[in-house]
Amino acid sequence: MSESAVKKTESPETAVLALHEKFLGGDQAKASLRPVNQAGIERFELLKFPHKKHEMYTFVNTHQLAGTAFELAADSPVDTAWVQSKIYPACKNSVLVFVNGAFQENLSDLSGLGDSFKIRCLAEAVAEDEIKQTLLDSLEDENDVFAAINSAFVHHGVWIDIPAKATFGSPLQLLYVSTGSASAPVTSHPRLIMRLGEMAELKMIVAYAGTRENYFINAVNDFIVKDGAGVTFTQVQKDDAESWHCSKTRVQLHRDARFFGRNASSGNRLTRHHYEVRLKEDGAELHLSGASVLVNQEQVHNFIRIHHEAPHCSSNQLFKNVINDKGRSSFDGTVIVDKGAQLTNSDQLINNLMLSDEAHADNKPNLMIFADDVKCTHGTTVGQIDEDQLFYLKTRGLSQELAKSLLTTSFVDSLIQTIPFPDVVADLDEILLKKLEAKHA
Amino acid sequence: MSLLEIKDLHAGFEGTDIVKGVSLTVNAGEVHAIMGPNGSGKSTLAKVLAGHPSYVVSKGSITYNGNDLLEMDAEERALAGVFLGFQYPVEIPGVNNAEFLRMAYNAKLVKQGEEEVDPLDFDGILDEKMKLVGMDRKYKDRFLNEGFSGGEKKKNEILQMAVLGPKLSVLDETDSGLDIDALKVVAQGVNKLNNKDNALILITHYQRLLNYIEPDFVHVFSGGTIIKSGGKELAHELEAQGYDWVTAPAK
Ligand SMILES: Nc1ncnc2c1ncn2[C@@H]1O[C@H](COP(=O)(O)OP(=O)(O)OP(=O)(O)O)[C@@H](O)[C@H]1O
Ligand SMILES: [Mg+2]
Repeated sequence: MSESAVKKTESPETAVLALHEKFLGGDQAKASLRPVNQAGIERFELLKFPHKKHEMYTFVNTHQLAGTAFELAADSPVDTAWVQSKIYPACKNSVLVFVNGAFQENLSDLSGLGDSFKIRCLAEAVAEDEIKQTLLDSLEDENDVFAAINSAFVHHGVWIDIPAKATFGSPLQLLYVSTGSASAPVTSHPRLIMRLGEMAELKMIVAYAGTRENYFINAVNDFIVKDGAGVTFTQVQKDDAESWHCSKTRVQLHRDARFFGRNASSGNRLTRHHYEVRLKEDGAELHLSGASVLVNQEQVHNFIRIHHEAPHCSSNQLFKNVINDKGRSSFDGTVIVDKGAQLTNSDQLINNLMLSDEAHADNKPNLMIFADDVKCTHGTTVGQIDEDQLFYLKTRGLSQELAKSLLTTSFVDSLIQTIPFPDVVADLDEILLKKLEAKHA
Repeated sequence: MSLLEIKDLHAGFEGTDIVKGVSLTVNAGEVHAIMGPNGSGKSTLAKVLAGHPSYVVSKGSITYNGNDLLEMDAEERALAGVFLGFQYPVEIPGVNNAEFLRMAYNAKLVKQGEEEVDPLDFDGILDEKMKLVGMDRKYKDRFLNEGFSGGEKKKNEILQMAVLGPKLSVLDETDSGLDIDALKVVAQGVNKLNNKDNALILITHYQRLLNYIEPDFVHVFSGGTIIKSGGKELAHELEAQGYDWVTAPAK
């Protein structure tokens, strides 16, 4: 990025405040969302950009991101054929397309989802007191500055309400397209709030893609999952290599509710996934996993806080990264088991495969247990290619290069293959695994 | 010319020999059994033959088919027809079993200057080989050895042997983990693969396997070397009397 984009005279915070003023005065801001924007910017002023030792950003340097003077991304035309190519075949009648955060009705197709699927603009939905309160409440104890910035600038968000017992024949895809910029870097702040009624089931795939470089996508997703309902939320992040990506996903799980969150990152300047999950009632179940393949100076970070607030709940986390060159990843995950949360089952496993001496991985799995009858485990591995596996393959006649690339590929593929959407598996094989092949060739 | 000629081989880890002065000649068409107590260095010998990079050869030579085997790396040895059936096959999650077998098969075809086979054609070849070793087709789509039982892993080793059709096979404790029915099927499979052009070295603790695959020679291995060699009757004596009667005088 050009030096001129960084205004050295201002503090990064002042630049955000100035942009916010401009935003409120412009025609992008929605009057109905103004209280949220206001509360968001106040929260931002309180939190400020993280300094080096910030407990939430111990392993993530956001200095460059904070120091970049972004413009808000404007509406921008996109090539329809290009957009079509990013839609998974299984989702062609169940896709919502967003460009720079703005919902595109003409590019979307909801015909496969039926009448029980209801989507509304956040600007409109916020007229309901309950929704407005949900948004404002989420800011009260918002501790992530980037999520606060999302609220400060939110204008395009969507509200999806899935009625009790609803199920759908095909998975729902949300496609977030960023158009980037040839000059000043741009930013968009997508917001999704989803409520699943009792016993409802939804499978969703969220894909992020960029038509060009130079953007920052800063998404916040809220899930309220009622009794017995289940969601799968698969984030396929294939942003441009020259982009930044933050996403915060907040989940509330009620009795026997299930949430399967997965992310796969193709790597860019900086990606940070933040999950904050509350297992609020008995029998709730959480699965989180993530995979990334990093080359050059790419970075992917996962920051996770899981609150077990009720007995008989379970959570598990599995993260795998392959890191080459000067790539960096971190995992900072804490499971908090409240006093009353007896018979909690929880495990965390992080595996990193390091392909170069300069690759870097920080891992901090952590347990805070206040109940006495629980089963919790955590583990991390950081390693090179296993010599015995390599030898095994070579004794079958595979060349050193082929054996190595097979082992690297399989390291992430064992996780990718568990994704229950063949389209997504094929796509990830294409993006992540090709990246490894290219490096090994 | 012998297929394999090991002369006064000393090998092990940096500074410690585990294999201490092994000499063994194997001709095409022969079946050799190596029997010996735990920790005597049998697997070390097998892995040195296959070219494991962690082992250091401090003395001696191995000639295979007229070539210096120690000069070849593991992959070259495999392509030249050396096969090791591992005592403890590794699990490789994420690698599809059938795809892996096809890669190995194709590597060999390419080496022979032939066209690679596509997945469809290979599927037919694989079906036939799986039948030979009595393996259920469902193991095709599993990850390589991941979650396989001990016996399933051993069958999978023999499946690989069947697919690759090696000249010299070293089977390290392939019988352990197999129940008697599976052992019979696997032994039958191995016997079908045997012919006058290839050779087999069976490493085993038990004479049981030798009831189904009849060895031409039996070697007693102890303290890193062969201390006694004989015909197949030696295996029966070992089974009846244990190793002590042969190992004791050596001490
Ligand atoms: N890294 C190592 N450094 C030094 N010695 C080792 C190392 N690994 C194994 N050994 C030793 O080498 C010896 C021979 O082991 P090997 O596996 O070859 O025996 P084996 O005859 O195959 O035994 P088993 O019948 O149990 O399979 C053992 O005593 C073992 O402890
Ligand atoms: Mg052994």
